[in-house]
Amino acid sequence: LLTAPLPQERGGNNSFTHEALTLKYKLDNQFELVFVVGFQKILTLTYVDKLIDDVHKEFRDKYRNEFQQKGALGLLNGTFDFKDDFMRLLRDAEESSRVRAPTVMKTFEQSLKSQKTVKCMIETRGEKPKEKVKNKKNKGSKKEGTEAAAAPSKASGGDKQPPASGEKEELTKDEILQKNREEFFRRHMKAGEKSRSPKPDTQKEKGKKPRVWDLGNSNAKVLDYSNSATNGSAEACPVEEFDPDMALGDKNREPGRLYDLEYESEDEAEEEKVVQNTSKPSAKKGGLGGMFGMLKGLVGSKSLTREDMDPVLEKMKDHLIAKNVAAEIAVQLCESVAKKLEGKVMGTFTTVTSTVKQALQEALVQILQPQRRVDMLRDVMDAQRHRRPYVVTFCGVNGVGKSTNLAKISFWLIENGFSVLIAACDTFRAGAVEQLRTHTRRLNALHPPESHGGRTMVQLYEKGYGKDAAGIAMEAISYARNQGFDVVLVDTAGRMQDNAPLMTALAKLIAVNAPDLVLFVGEALVGNEAVDQLVKFNKALADHSMAQTPRLIDGIVLTKFDTIDDKVGAAISMTYITSKPIVFVGTGQTYCDLRSLNAKAVVAALMKA
Amino acid sequence: AMAGGLEPDLAALRRELSGPAALSVVIALIAVAVTFLIWRFVQGRRSSRKAVLLLGLCDAGKTLLFARLLSGRYRDTQTSITDSSATYQVSRDKSTSVTLIDLPGHESLRLQFLERFKAAARAIVFVVDSVAFQREVKDVAEFLYQVLVDGTVLKNAPALLIACNKQDVTMAKSAKLIQQQLEKELNTLRVTRSAAPTSLDSSGGPSQLGKKGKDFDFSQLPMKVEFVECSARGSKGEEGDADLEGLEKWLVKVT
Repeated sequence: LLTAPLPQERGGNNSFTHEALTLKYKLDNQFELVFVVGFQKILTLTYVDKLIDDVHKEFRDKYRNEFQQKGALGLLNGTFDFKDDFMRLLRDAEESSRVRAPTVMKTFEQSLKSQKTVKCMIETRGEKPKEKVKNKKNKGSKKEGTEAAAAPSKASGGDKQPPASGEKEELTKDEILQKNREEFFRRHMKAGEKSRSPKPDTQKEKGKKPRVWDLGNSNAKVLDYSNSATNGSAEACPVEEFDPDMALGDKNREPGRLYDLEYESEDEAEEEKVVQNTSKPSAKKGGLGGMFGMLKGLVGSKSLTREDMDPVLEKMKDHLIAKNVAAEIAVQLCESVAKKLEGKVMGTFTTVTSTVKQALQEALVQILQPQRRVDMLRDVMDAQRHRRPYVVTFCGVNGVGKSTNLAKISFWLIENGFSVLIAACDTFRAGAVEQLRTHTRRLNALHPPESHGGRTMVQLYEKGYGKDAAGIAMEAISYARNQGFDVVLVDTAGRMQDNAPLMTALAKLIAVNAPDLVLFVGEALVGNEAVDQLVKFNKALADHSMAQTPRLIDGIVLTKFDTIDDKVGAAISMTYITSKPIVFVGTGQTYCDLRSLNAKAVVAALMKA
Repeated sequence: AMAGGLEPDLAALRRELSGPAALSVVIALIAVAVTFLIWRFVQGRRSSRKAVLLLGLCDAGKTLLFARLLSGRYRDTQTSITDSSATYQVSRDKSTSVTLIDLPGHESLRLQFLERFKAAARAIVFVVDSVAFQREVKDVAEFLYQVLVDGTVLKNAPALLIACNKQDVTMAKSAKLIQQQLEKELNTLRVTRSAAPTSLDSSGGPSQLGKKGKDFDFSQLPMKVEFVECSARGSKGEEGDADLEGLEKWLVKVT
């Protein structure tokens, strides 16, 4: 519990399952306590929530002094002899859940239904209430839906059929008839109204008016094609003046040259400033905001409640979604932050907004710096020592940039002095092998064998199209081992995550060849799809692997990062789902456009308004 | 009558003039005082470095060490998810005290807490699990590397102690062995880390650790580094005392 959900910002719902146990927990943010109740998963205990609340209250009240005055030392030195209290509370909770007498069925007299009908009868007749009313008449009344109509309809039913039990004797037939007639007329009036009300609607629609567009009023005549004479005849078209200047634009351009995109470097400077600002203590910033804010929030010792945080969290959630974070992840994140801050005592000079923003920022940075950092060079050196090649597999959906980034990574590896074998396991896409061959040729031109002691730094291993990808990968790895290549980069075909046979094929490739690193290539433009892609890819890899601990995705390559300005939410979505790090970031299509992720900069861009 | 009429007018006028003038002077004084207080507060926070940080991987024994130093008793501990701080009396005769801060070692949390407390650190105790060291050497080196190349740490150069914990277990590695292995690993790490692709906003790359050309050595660092063996649990189990003499002596020396 402590190592998984709480630190990783998944503390949204308050229960956690691990093997055969379910753990329900409650956080006390004021004194930084965690209350955990564990019980077997198969049991459904109804009193657990109440028990946790009771324990929390009692523990806090009993040891309030120690927490407040002595802080950490109090926690260390204090003896918390809570066992008796806990047993007592547990017994109370168990008893309260057990003692609930089986509900006795209410008699008909006690039910509301009889009283209702009785009441109605009282209104109509003013005589002493009848108790027994036929049930089938009640059923008929349900259709009408009103209680007032129930009695007359029943009465009408009773009128139509001769009253069997004779209780209706008191209602004379005339009375009943009159009541029925009134009711009937009333109902028909209502129905009449109803039938009348749709009529005026149809009347409105009959005379179809031409639709008026706000912006195109002037072109109404041009859009009118009712005159068949002009339709389809070439002479009727107004002759447009062809202005070559307008079409070609800038007169001074050189024919055939493609100009570069102008890039403003202010954004970078701004980003750096933002990064520096966030690293300074935020209390000062919060202070300025707080001084001009409400006076109530100035003096400390105000604890945060859910209602205070809700509007701020709503706004932050919308802000995150606007920045391309997947919707469900934004919701879960805000939930987790709310749980963490509930009941916390705010310091002086802080507003609710600043506290929540600070907590959210920390949560985001935490998500982007997950468990183990993938240091590829280090691992390649290890594999070098053991005389075996380091195998990396790239997987992802179609068109995200697998082959391009594979080329970039091999360039980087060559620059660091490792020899690379590229295995072309994309046997489906037309031109995939040729693309890799072109990259290989280029890389070899950039790093010729002469400058690296006579050995070719890059080589392509391919077997054409249509063959089994897993087989090619296996052959490539053994070839690399024989020839002494340091790294094998395996390029697979792009596949959609719900294409079951292709996912099986990918899982088989990974299970059979056991690569050292499985990289999922995802583009930064993806929105909510990221969640679905990663979940399904991981699931496929887990399902089709025979091993005890299946090989899942080890890292993420985030591509096309230059196409998003600051809508960097995809990074958050992907790392949240897999809790694996983003190993590389692709920012373009040349070999040098490979970067590593800077968590603080990304979070700053994300939180920027 | 005219003079009489003028008198109260003049008096009123004088009062009017002196009123806002005095008020503005008072406001100015308050503003200066507040600014001065804020400046002192911020300065104070930046310059007072009275903290000793306990860093290390998960299950290295930081929280138990913390408990032992402060209270001398053994306590069952869980994985920390937040920091704990308390003042520690360094030695019985002198009245110097430092704030001991125990930071969580969990991978998702450690950097965040380090960010928060690194500016206040006068000394850093890096706790290493000597028993699991062979298995964890890469992770230990990675965390140590991250601590050492941090800008604030390089600037302040707090004294660094590498406490090789869990010496009560027979399989524990000695401090010398741990030092050699860490130096080798850090040597490799600084090459691979500086060769990594630059970060997104191309902020300054990782600073060079030690001297180029020569193998990495702890003596090349700007701060004083020492290695000490200790055992938070103690050789006599939970009831006995912990073997923390080396650590305590170092703390006295540093403060």
